[in-house]
Amino acid sequence: METKALDHTELANQIIDVIVKEGMVDREKATLDATIESLDLKSIDIVMILTAIEEKFDVYIPMDGPFHEAKKIGDLIDAIAAYIIKEKN
Amino acid sequence: MADSRRIVVTGMGAVSAAGVGAAALWEAARDGRSCVGETHFIRPYRGRIRISAQVQDFDPAAYLTSSVLPFCDPVTQYLLVAADEAIAQAGLTSAKPMGPRTATIIGTGVGGMHTLENGLHLTLVEQGRPDPLTVPRLIPSACPSMLSIRYGSMGPCFAVASACSSATQAIGIGLHLIRSGLVDRAIVGGTEDCVTNSAMLAWEALRVLTPDSCRPFSKGRNGMILGAGSAVFILEEAELARARGAEALVEIAGYGTSADAKDPVRPDAQGAAACMRNALADASIDPSEIDYVNAHGTGTTANDATESEALGIVFGDQLAKLPVSSTKPIHGHALGAAGALELVVTIGAVRENVAPPTINWREADAKCPVDAVPNEARPMPIRTALTNSFAFGGINASLIVRRAFAA
Repeated sequence: METKALDHTELANQIIDVIVKEGMVDREKATLDATIESLDLKSIDIVMILTAIEEKFDVYIPMDGPFHEAKKIGDLIDAIAAYIIKEKN
Repeated sequence: MADSRRIVVTGMGAVSAAGVGAAALWEAARDGRSCVGETHFIRPYRGRIRISAQVQDFDPAAYLTSSVLPFCDPVTQYLLVAADEAIAQAGLTSAKPMGPRTATIIGTGVGGMHTLENGLHLTLVEQGRPDPLTVPRLIPSACPSMLSIRYGSMGPCFAVASACSSATQAIGIGLHLIRSGLVDRAIVGGTEDCVTNSAMLAWEALRVLTPDSCRPFSKGRNGMILGAGSAVFILEEAELARARGAEALVEIAGYGTSADAKDPVRPDAQGAAACMRNALADASIDPSEIDYVNAHGTGTTANDATESEALGIVFGDQLAKLPVSSTKPIHGHALGAAGALELVVTIGAVRENVAPPTINWREADAKCPVDAVPNEARPMPIRTALTNSFAFGGINASLIVRRAFAA
Protein backbone atom coordinates (compact mmCIF):
# COMPACT_ATOMS: atom_id res chain seq x y z
CA MET A 1 0.00 0.00 0.00
CA GLU A 2 2.80 2.35 0.95
CA THR A 3 4.56 1.78 -2.33
CA LYS A 4 1.38 2.52 -4.22
CA ALA A 5 0.80 5.70 -2.21
CA LEU A 6 4.33 6.83 -2.96
CA ASP A 7 3.83 6.05 -6.65
CA HIS A 8 0.74 8.15 -6.63
CA THR A 9 2.55 11.11 -5.06
CA GLU A 10 5.42 10.85 -7.49
CA LEU A 11 3.00 10.51 -10.33
CA ALA A 12 0.99 13.48 -9.09
CA ASN A 13 4.13 15.65 -9.09
CA GLN A 14 4.99 14.60 -12.60
CA ILE A 15 1.45 15.33 -13.73
CA ILE A 16 1.63 18.78 -12.11
CA ASP A 17 4.82 19.39 -14.10
CA VAL A 18 2.89 18.71 -17.27
CA ILE A 19 -0.08 20.85 -16.23
CA VAL A 20 2.24 23.76 -15.42
CA LYS A 21 4.06 23.48 -18.74
CA GLU A 22 1.22 22.68 -21.12
CA GLY A 23 -1.42 24.75 -19.34
CA MET A 24 1.00 27.68 -19.00
CA VAL A 25 0.12 28.24 -15.34
CA ASP A 26 2.28 29.41 -12.46
CA ARG A 27 3.56 26.48 -10.44
CA GLU A 28 2.66 28.10 -7.11
CA LYS A 29 -0.93 28.44 -8.27
CA ALA A 30 -1.20 24.83 -9.41
CA THR A 31 -2.24 23.43 -6.04
CA LEU A 32 -4.49 20.43 -5.59
CA ASP A 33 -7.29 22.67 -4.38
CA ALA A 34 -7.04 25.16 -7.24
CA THR A 35 -10.00 24.94 -9.58
CA ILE A 36 -9.49 24.41 -13.28
CA GLU A 37 -11.59 27.49 -13.86
CA SER A 38 -9.47 29.68 -11.57
CA LEU A 39 -6.37 28.70 -13.55
CA ASP A 40 -8.22 29.60 -16.76
CA LEU A 41 -7.62 26.12 -18.16
CA LYS A 42 -9.89 25.67 -21.17
CA SER A 43 -10.91 22.47 -22.90
CA ILE A 44 -8.12 22.82 -25.44
CA ASP A 45 -5.62 23.20 -22.58
CA ILE A 46 -6.89 19.93 -21.12
CA VAL A 47 -6.44 18.33 -24.56
CA MET A 48 -2.84 19.60 -24.67
CA ILE A 49 -2.22 18.31 -21.13
CA LEU A 50 -3.70 14.87 -21.82
CA THR A 51 -1.71 14.57 -25.04
CA ALA A 52 1.53 15.45 -23.23
CA ILE A 53 0.67 12.90 -20.52
CA GLU A 54 0.18 10.26 -23.20
CA GLU A 55 3.61 11.06 -24.66
CA LYS A 56 5.33 11.14 -21.30
CA PHE A 57 3.86 7.92 -19.90
CA ASP A 58 3.28 6.09 -23.16
CA VAL A 59 -0.37 5.42 -22.40
CA TYR A 60 -3.60 6.07 -24.25
CA ILE A 61 -6.16 8.16 -22.41
CA PRO A 62 -9.57 7.88 -24.05
CA MET A 63 -11.59 11.02 -24.42
CA ASP A 64 -14.49 9.84 -22.30
CA GLY A 65 -13.95 9.25 -18.61
CA PRO A 66 -13.89 11.38 -15.50
CA PHE A 67 -11.78 14.19 -16.98
CA HIS A 68 -14.79 16.26 -17.99
CA GLU A 69 -16.20 16.15 -14.48
CA ALA A 70 -12.97 17.33 -12.81
CA LYS A 71 -13.41 20.67 -11.08
CA LYS A 72 -10.10 20.94 -9.23
CA ILE A 73 -6.52 20.18 -10.19
CA GLY A 74 -6.57 17.41 -7.58
CA ASP A 75 -9.56 15.77 -9.32
CA LEU A 76 -7.81 15.98 -12.66
CA ILE A 77 -4.61 14.49 -11.27
CA ASP A 78 -6.53 11.67 -9.57
CA ALA A 79 -8.36 10.86 -12.78
CA ILE A 80 -5.17 10.85 -14.83
CA ALA A 81 -3.07 9.00 -12.22
CA ALA A 82 -5.72 6.31 -11.78
CA TYR A 83 -5.75 5.81 -15.51
CA ILE A 84 -1.98 5.58 -15.81
CA ILE A 85 -1.74 3.09 -12.92
CA LYS A 86 -4.54 1.01 -14.46
CA GLU A 87 -2.88 1.04 -17.89
CA LYS A 88 0.56 0.21 -16.52
CA ASN A 89 -0.78 -2.71 -14.53
CA MET B 1 -36.16 42.92 -43.19
CA ALA B 2 -37.17 40.47 -45.92
CA ASP B 3 -38.41 42.25 -49.00
CA SER B 4 -40.83 40.87 -51.54
CA ARG B 5 -38.29 38.59 -53.21
CA ARG B 6 -38.87 35.09 -51.87
CA ILE B 7 -36.27 32.43 -52.50
CA VAL B 8 -37.12 28.82 -53.24
CA VAL B 9 -35.17 25.61 -53.76
CA THR B 10 -35.98 24.10 -57.14
CA GLY B 11 -33.45 21.29 -57.14
CA MET B 12 -31.12 19.44 -54.82
CA GLY B 13 -28.62 16.65 -55.01
CA ALA B 14 -26.21 14.84 -52.72
CA VAL B 15 -23.36 12.40 -52.46
CA SER B 16 -22.79 11.03 -48.97
CA ALA B 17 -22.06 7.91 -46.99
CA ALA B 18 -25.65 6.96 -47.83
CA GLY B 19 -24.67 6.84 -51.51
CA VAL B 20 -25.47 8.97 -54.52
CA GLY B 21 -28.66 11.01 -54.37
CA ALA B 22 -30.49 13.35 -52.03
CA ALA B 23 -33.21 10.74 -51.54
CA ALA B 24 -30.71 8.14 -50.29
CA LEU B 25 -29.43 10.61 -47.68
CA TRP B 26 -32.88 11.70 -46.51
CA GLU B 27 -34.20 8.14 -46.32
CA ALA B 28 -31.20 6.99 -44.25
CA ALA B 29 -31.76 9.93 -41.89
CA ARG B 30 -35.53 9.41 -41.67
CA ASP B 31 -35.20 5.67 -41.13
CA GLY B 32 -32.38 6.05 -38.60
CA ARG B 33 -30.06 3.91 -40.68
CA SER B 34 -26.46 4.68 -39.78
CA CYS B 35 -23.93 4.83 -42.62
CA VAL B 36 -20.97 4.61 -40.23
CA GLY B 37 -18.47 1.84 -40.77
CA GLU B 38 -14.84 0.80 -40.89
CA THR B 39 -12.87 3.40 -42.84
CA HIS B 40 -11.01 2.40 -45.96
CA PHE B 41 -7.57 4.06 -45.94
CA ILE B 42 -5.27 4.09 -48.94
CA ARG B 43 -2.18 3.84 -46.71
CA PRO B 44 -1.55 1.93 -43.48
CA TYR B 45 -3.36 3.70 -40.65
CA ARG B 46 -1.94 3.92 -37.15
CA GLY B 47 -4.81 5.77 -35.46
CA ARG B 48 -6.99 4.17 -32.81
CA ILE B 49 -10.30 5.36 -34.13
CA ARG B 50 -11.10 3.78 -37.48
CA ILE B 51 -14.81 4.41 -37.89
CA SER B 52 -16.29 7.12 -40.08
CA ALA B 53 -19.17 7.86 -42.43
CA GLN B 54 -17.00 7.68 -45.52
CA VAL B 55 -18.21 7.93 -49.11
CA GLN B 56 -17.57 4.39 -50.34
CA ASP B 57 -18.09 2.56 -53.62
CA PHE B 58 -18.23 5.85 -55.50
CA ASP B 59 -16.93 5.55 -59.05
CA PRO B 60 -16.40 9.06 -60.41
CA ALA B 61 -15.79 7.77 -63.93
CA ALA B 62 -19.39 6.57 -64.00
CA TYR B 63 -20.51 10.22 -63.80
CA LEU B 64 -17.71 12.46 -65.04
CA THR B 65 -15.81 12.52 -68.32
CA SER B 66 -12.06 12.06 -68.71
CA SER B 67 -11.72 15.72 -69.70
CA VAL B 68 -13.09 16.87 -66.33
CA LEU B 69 -11.77 14.22 -63.93
CA PRO B 70 -8.07 15.24 -63.84
CA PHE B 71 -9.13 18.59 -62.34
CA CYS B 72 -11.23 17.00 -59.63
CA ASP B 73 -10.27 16.11 -56.11
CA PRO B 74 -12.89 13.78 -54.57
CA VAL B 75 -14.60 16.87 -53.08
CA THR B 76 -15.12 18.28 -56.58
CA GLN B 77 -16.24 14.90 -57.90
CA TYR B 78 -18.95 14.61 -55.25
CA LEU B 79 -19.91 18.23 -55.85
CA LEU B 80 -20.34 17.90 -59.62
CA VAL B 81 -22.39 14.72 -59.25
CA ALA B 82 -24.60 16.32 -56.59
CA ALA B 83 -24.97 19.44 -58.74
CA ASP B 84 -25.97 17.45 -61.83
CA GLU B 85 -28.76 15.90 -59.77
CA ALA B 86 -29.88 19.31 -58.51
CA ILE B 87 -29.75 20.87 -61.97
CA ALA B 88 -31.81 18.02 -63.44
CA GLN B 89 -34.43 18.24 -60.69
CA ALA B 90 -34.68 21.99 -61.24
CA GLY B 91 -35.46 21.30 -64.90
CA LEU B 92 -32.30 23.07 -66.02
CA THR B 93 -29.54 21.84 -68.29
CA SER B 94 -25.84 22.36 -68.69
CA ALA B 95 -26.42 22.73 -72.44
CA LYS B 96 -27.52 26.33 -72.00
CA PRO B 97 -25.15 28.61 -70.04
CA MET B 98 -26.70 30.00 -66.86
CA GLY B 99 -25.16 33.38 -67.57
CA PRO B 100 -24.21 36.35 -65.40
CA ARG B 101 -27.35 36.35 -63.24
CA THR B 102 -26.41 33.03 -61.61
CA ALA B 103 -24.03 32.87 -58.64
CA THR B 104 -21.96 29.85 -57.62
CA ILE B 105 -21.07 29.69 -53.93
CA ILE B 106 -19.74 26.55 -52.29
CA GLY B 107 -18.64 25.93 -48.73
CA THR B 108 -15.68 23.70 -47.91
CA GLY B 109 -13.56 23.62 -44.79
CA VAL B 110 -10.34 22.52 -46.42
CA GLY B 111 -10.93 21.88 -50.13
CA GLY B 112 -8.87 19.15 -51.76
CA MET B 113 -7.64 17.32 -48.68
CA HIS B 114 -6.93 14.10 -50.58
CA THR B 115 -4.90 15.98 -53.21
CA LEU B 116 -3.05 17.83 -50.47
CA GLU B 117 -2.21 14.69 -48.52
CA ASN B 118 -1.27 12.66 -51.58
CA GLY B 119 0.85 15.54 -52.89
CA LEU B 120 2.73 15.90 -49.61
CA HIS B 121 3.30 12.16 -49.38
CA LEU B 122 4.56 12.03 -52.94
CA THR B 123 6.89 15.02 -52.65
CA LEU B 124 8.13 14.72 -49.06
CA VAL B 125 8.09 10.99 -48.35
CA GLU B 126 8.62 9.50 -51.78
CA GLN B 127 10.65 12.47 -53.08
CA GLY B 128 8.59 12.27 -56.24
CA ARG B 129 7.58 14.82 -58.84
CA PRO B 130 4.20 16.43 -58.21
CA ASP B 131 1.27 16.00 -60.56
CA PRO B 132 1.07 19.27 -62.54
CA LEU B 133 -2.63 19.57 -61.71
CA THR B 134 -2.03 19.41 -57.96
CA VAL B 135 -2.65 23.12 -57.43
CA PRO B 136 -5.81 23.56 -59.53
CA ARG B 137 -7.21 20.42 -57.89
CA LEU B 138 -6.56 21.24 -54.25
CA ILE B 139 -7.59 24.91 -54.08
CA PRO B 140 -10.90 25.29 -52.23
CA SER B 141 -12.16 27.55 -55.01
CA ALA B 142 -11.82 24.68 -57.50
CA CYS B 143 -15.18 23.57 -56.11
CA PRO B 144 -17.27 26.59 -57.20
CA SER B 145 -15.06 27.20 -60.26
CA MET B 146 -15.61 23.74 -61.70
CA LEU B 147 -19.35 24.21 -61.22
CA SER B 148 -19.32 27.61 -62.94
CA ILE B 149 -17.45 26.09 -65.88
CA ARG B 150 -19.86 23.15 -66.07
CA TYR B 151 -23.02 25.27 -66.11
CA GLY B 152 -21.78 28.56 -67.54
CA SER B 153 -22.76 30.45 -64.40
CA MET B 154 -20.94 33.78 -64.74
CA GLY B 155 -22.16 35.67 -61.67
CA PRO B 156 -20.35 35.87 -58.34
CA CYS B 157 -18.33 32.70 -57.79
CA PHE B 158 -16.39 31.89 -54.65
CA ALA B 159 -15.70 29.39 -51.90
CA VAL B 160 -16.66 29.94 -48.30
CA ALA B 161 -14.18 28.48 -45.81
CA SER B 162 -15.65 28.72 -42.32
CA ALA B 163 -14.93 25.19 -41.14
CA CYS B 164 -18.16 23.50 -40.05
CA SER B 165 -20.31 26.52 -40.92
CA SER B 166 -18.99 26.76 -44.51
CA ALA B 167 -21.95 25.22 -46.35
CA THR B 168 -24.62 26.96 -44.31
CA GLN B 169 -22.93 30.30 -44.88
CA ALA B 170 -22.56 29.60 -48.61
CA ILE B 171 -26.27 28.81 -48.87
CA GLY B 172 -27.21 31.85 -46.80
CA ILE B 173 -25.05 34.20 -48.85
CA GLY B 174 -26.64 32.83 -52.03
CA LEU B 175 -30.05 33.53 -50.54
CA HIS B 176 -29.09 37.11 -49.74
CA LEU B 177 -27.49 37.75 -53.13
CA ILE B 178 -30.78 36.77 -54.80
CA ARG B 179 -32.84 38.73 -52.32
CA SER B 180 -30.71 41.82 -52.89
CA GLY B 181 -31.40 41.60 -56.61
CA LEU B 182 -27.76 41.08 -57.54
CA VAL B 183 -28.56 37.69 -59.09
CA ASP B 184 -31.69 35.66 -59.82
CA ARG B 185 -30.34 32.20 -59.20
CA ALA B 186 -27.58 30.64 -57.10
CA ILE B 187 -25.95 27.23 -57.18
CA VAL B 188 -25.02 26.71 -53.54
CA GLY B 189 -23.96 23.97 -51.15
CA GLY B 190 -20.95 22.40 -49.56
CA THR B 191 -18.43 19.64 -50.05
CA GLU B 192 -15.78 17.96 -47.90
CA ASP B 193 -13.77 14.81 -47.48
CA CYS B 194 -11.32 14.84 -44.62
CA VAL B 195 -11.52 11.10 -44.15
CA THR B 196 -7.80 10.68 -44.87
CA ASN B 197 -4.91 9.33 -42.78
CA SER B 198 -3.52 12.66 -41.62
CA ALA B 199 -6.86 14.41 -41.11
CA MET B 200 -8.33 11.53 -39.10
CA LEU B 201 -5.20 11.49 -36.90
CA ALA B 202 -5.50 15.25 -36.42
CA TRP B 203 -9.15 14.96 -35.37
CA GLU B 204 -8.29 12.10 -33.05
CA ALA B 205 -5.60 14.29 -31.46
CA LEU B 206 -8.27 16.88 -30.65
CA ARG B 207 -10.09 14.21 -28.62
CA VAL B 208 -13.43 14.86 -30.19
CA LEU B 209 -13.88 11.57 -32.09
CA THR B 210 -15.92 8.85 -30.46
CA PRO B 211 -14.21 5.48 -30.30
CA ASP B 212 -17.55 3.65 -30.45
CA SER B 213 -20.83 5.41 -31.11
CA CYS B 214 -22.01 8.97 -31.71
CA ARG B 215 -24.98 9.74 -29.45
CA PRO B 216 -25.88 13.45 -29.58
CA PHE B 217 -27.67 15.03 -26.59
CA SER B 218 -27.50 11.71 -24.73
CA LYS B 219 -25.92 11.05 -21.39
CA GLY B 220 -22.68 9.17 -21.96
CA ARG B 221 -21.94 10.78 -25.30
CA ASN B 222 -18.23 10.82 -26.05
CA GLY B 223 -17.65 12.44 -29.40
CA MET B 224 -18.40 12.74 -33.05
CA ILE B 225 -17.98 10.65 -36.17
CA LEU B 226 -16.30 12.18 -39.21
CA GLY B 227 -18.37 12.18 -42.37
CA ALA B 228 -17.85 13.23 -45.96
CA GLY B 229 -19.85 14.16 -49.01
CA SER B 230 -21.51 17.00 -50.79
CA ALA B 231 -24.92 18.52 -51.31
CA VAL B 232 -25.99 21.18 -53.80
CA PHE B 233 -29.13 23.30 -54.08
CA ILE B 234 -30.54 25.47 -56.83
CA LEU B 235 -31.89 28.63 -55.24
CA GLU B 236 -34.14 30.83 -57.36
CA GLU B 237 -36.26 33.89 -56.95
CA ALA B 238 -39.74 32.44 -56.51
CA GLU B 239 -41.52 34.39 -59.25
CA LEU B 240 -38.87 33.60 -61.84
CA ALA B 241 -38.95 29.92 -60.88
CA ARG B 242 -42.72 29.91 -61.16
CA ALA B 243 -42.59 31.70 -64.51
CA ARG B 244 -40.46 28.94 -66.00
CA GLY B 245 -42.67 26.26 -64.52
CA ALA B 246 -40.21 24.98 -61.93
CA GLU B 247 -41.57 23.30 -58.81
CA ALA B 248 -40.56 24.90 -55.51
CA LEU B 249 -39.40 22.14 -53.14
CA VAL B 250 -39.30 24.50 -50.16
CA GLU B 251 -38.70 28.14 -49.42
CA ILE B 252 -35.48 29.21 -47.71
CA ALA B 253 -37.03 31.86 -45.51
CA GLY B 254 -34.11 33.08 -43.44
CA TYR B 255 -30.40 33.04 -42.81
CA GLY B 256 -28.52 34.14 -39.74
CA THR B 257 -24.86 34.20 -38.86
CA SER B 258 -22.75 35.46 -35.96
CA ALA B 259 -19.28 35.24 -34.48
CA ASP B 260 -18.72 34.32 -30.83
CA ALA B 261 -15.53 36.41 -30.85
CA LYS B 262 -14.35 34.42 -27.82
CA ASP B 263 -12.42 31.19 -28.23
CA PRO B 264 -10.79 29.27 -31.11
CA VAL B 265 -12.36 25.94 -30.16
CA ARG B 266 -14.82 26.34 -27.29
CA PRO B 267 -18.41 27.04 -28.38
CA ASP B 268 -20.40 29.86 -26.80
CA ALA B 269 -24.13 29.74 -26.11
CA GLN B 270 -24.65 33.48 -26.53
CA GLY B 271 -23.05 33.49 -29.97
CA ALA B 272 -25.11 30.49 -31.10
CA ALA B 273 -28.30 32.07 -29.74
CA ALA B 274 -27.55 35.35 -31.54
CA CYS B 275 -27.14 33.39 -34.75
CA MET B 276 -30.52 31.64 -34.45
CA ARG B 277 -32.18 34.95 -33.55
CA ASN B 278 -30.63 36.56 -36.62
CA ALA B 279 -32.12 33.81 -38.78
CA LEU B 280 -35.56 34.25 -37.18
CA ALA B 281 -35.38 38.02 -37.73
CA ASP B 282 -34.26 37.51 -41.31
CA ALA B 283 -37.31 35.29 -41.91
CA SER B 284 -39.50 37.76 -39.99
CA ILE B 285 -40.90 35.00 -37.82
CA ASP B 286 -41.40 34.33 -34.14
CA PRO B 287 -39.58 31.42 -32.41
CA SER B 288 -42.98 29.81 -31.80
CA GLU B 289 -43.33 29.23 -35.54
CA ILE B 290 -40.40 26.78 -35.62
CA ASP B 291 -41.73 23.20 -35.63
CA TYR B 292 -38.45 21.28 -35.81
CA VAL B 293 -34.72 21.94 -35.35
CA ASN B 294 -32.04 19.96 -37.13
CA ALA B 295 -29.25 20.60 -34.64
CA HIS B 296 -25.55 20.94 -35.18
CA GLY B 297 -25.52 18.15 -32.54
CA THR B 298 -22.03 16.78 -33.02
CA GLY B 299 -22.17 14.38 -30.08
CA THR B 300 -19.27 16.05 -28.27
CA THR B 301 -19.67 16.93 -24.63
CA ALA B 302 -19.21 20.63 -25.25
CA ASN B 303 -21.25 21.23 -28.40
CA ASP B 304 -24.45 19.53 -27.33
CA ALA B 305 -24.55 21.18 -23.90
CA THR B 306 -23.80 24.62 -25.38
CA GLU B 307 -26.27 24.20 -28.24
CA SER B 308 -28.96 23.12 -25.76
CA GLU B 309 -28.26 26.20 -23.67
CA ALA B 310 -28.43 28.41 -26.76
CA LEU B 311 -31.74 26.82 -27.81
CA GLY B 312 -33.03 27.56 -24.30
CA ILE B 313 -32.05 31.22 -24.66
CA VAL B 314 -33.92 31.49 -27.98
CA PHE B 315 -36.96 29.28 -27.37
CA GLY B 316 -37.41 29.60 -23.60
CA ASP B 317 -40.29 27.54 -22.23
CA GLN B 318 -41.24 26.42 -25.72
CA LEU B 319 -38.05 24.34 -25.97
CA ALA B 320 -39.57 21.46 -23.99
CA LYS B 321 -42.11 20.91 -26.77
CA LEU B 322 -39.76 21.52 -29.70
CA PRO B 323 -38.29 18.44 -31.40
CA VAL B 324 -34.51 18.92 -31.82
CA SER B 325 -32.64 16.09 -33.49
CA SER B 326 -29.15 15.47 -34.79
CA THR B 327 -28.71 13.21 -37.80
CA LYS B 328 -24.91 13.24 -37.55
CA PRO B 329 -24.75 9.66 -36.19
CA ILE B 330 -26.20 8.65 -39.57
CA HIS B 331 -24.21 10.67 -42.14
CA GLY B 332 -21.33 11.73 -39.89
CA HIS B 333 -20.03 15.22 -39.32
CA ALA B 334 -19.16 16.33 -42.83
CA LEU B 335 -17.45 19.53 -41.59
CA GLY B 336 -17.62 22.11 -44.40
CA ALA B 337 -20.36 20.09 -46.10
CA ALA B 338 -22.31 19.43 -42.91
CA GLY B 339 -24.80 22.27 -43.35
CA ALA B 340 -25.55 21.15 -46.90
CA LEU B 341 -26.12 17.49 -46.00
CA GLU B 342 -28.30 18.60 -43.10
CA LEU B 343 -30.27 20.99 -45.29
CA VAL B 344 -31.18 17.98 -47.47
CA VAL B 345 -32.41 16.28 -44.29
CA THR B 346 -34.26 19.39 -43.08
CA ILE B 347 -35.96 19.81 -46.45
CA GLY B 348 -36.97 16.14 -46.28
CA ALA B 349 -38.42 16.70 -42.82
CA VAL B 350 -40.51 19.64 -44.03
CA ARG B 351 -41.67 17.93 -47.22
CA GLU B 352 -42.62 14.63 -45.58
CA ASN B 353 -43.68 15.97 -42.17
CA VAL B 354 -41.35 13.66 -40.29
CA ALA B 355 -38.82 14.64 -37.63
CA PRO B 356 -35.84 12.31 -38.19
CA PRO B 357 -34.48 10.63 -35.07
CA THR B 358 -31.33 11.10 -33.02
CA ILE B 359 -30.12 7.52 -33.08
CA ASN B 360 -27.90 5.87 -30.45
CA TRP B 361 -29.56 8.05 -27.80
CA ARG B 362 -29.52 6.29 -24.42
CA GLU B 363 -30.76 8.54 -21.64
CA ALA B 364 -31.42 12.18 -20.89
CA ASP B 365 -28.54 14.42 -19.86
CA ALA B 366 -29.45 17.27 -17.54
CA LYS B 367 -27.07 19.47 -19.55
CA CYS B 368 -29.07 18.82 -22.73
CA PRO B 369 -32.70 19.56 -21.84
CA VAL B 370 -34.05 19.05 -25.36
CA ASP B 371 -36.53 16.63 -26.92
CA ALA B 372 -33.96 14.87 -29.10
CA VAL B 373 -36.51 12.69 -30.95
CA PRO B 374 -34.71 9.67 -29.53
CA ASN B 375 -34.16 6.69 -31.80
CA GLU B 376 -37.51 6.74 -33.63
CA ALA B 377 -38.64 9.11 -36.37
CA ARG B 378 -41.68 11.14 -35.45
CA PRO B 379 -44.40 11.93 -37.99
CA MET B 380 -45.71 15.41 -37.18
CA PRO B 381 -46.70 18.55 -39.03
CA ILE B 382 -43.55 20.50 -39.91
CA ARG B 383 -44.22 23.77 -41.65
CA THR B 384 -41.06 25.61 -40.67
CA ALA B 385 -37.71 24.22 -39.56
CA LEU B 386 -34.38 25.58 -38.37
CA THR B 387 -30.99 24.04 -39.09
CA ASN B 388 -27.80 25.00 -37.26
CA SER B 389 -24.09 24.86 -38.03
CA PHE B 390 -21.44 25.94 -35.54
CA ALA B 391 -17.74 26.05 -36.32
CA PHE B 392 -14.33 26.23 -34.70
CA GLY B 393 -13.36 29.84 -34.38
CA GLY B 394 -16.85 30.62 -33.10
CA ILE B 395 -18.50 31.07 -36.50
CA ASN B 396 -22.20 30.26 -36.38
CA ALA B 397 -24.76 29.94 -39.17
CA SER B 398 -28.44 28.99 -39.28
CA LEU B 399 -31.05 28.60 -42.01
CA ILE B 400 -34.84 28.56 -41.84
CA VAL B 401 -36.73 26.29 -44.22
CA ARG B 402 -40.44 26.82 -44.85
CA ARG B 403 -42.97 24.68 -46.68
CA ALA B 404 -43.37 26.01 -50.20
CA PHE B 405 -46.57 27.94 -50.69
CA ALA B 406 -49.04 26.65 -53.27
CA ALA B 407 -48.21 27.75 -56.78
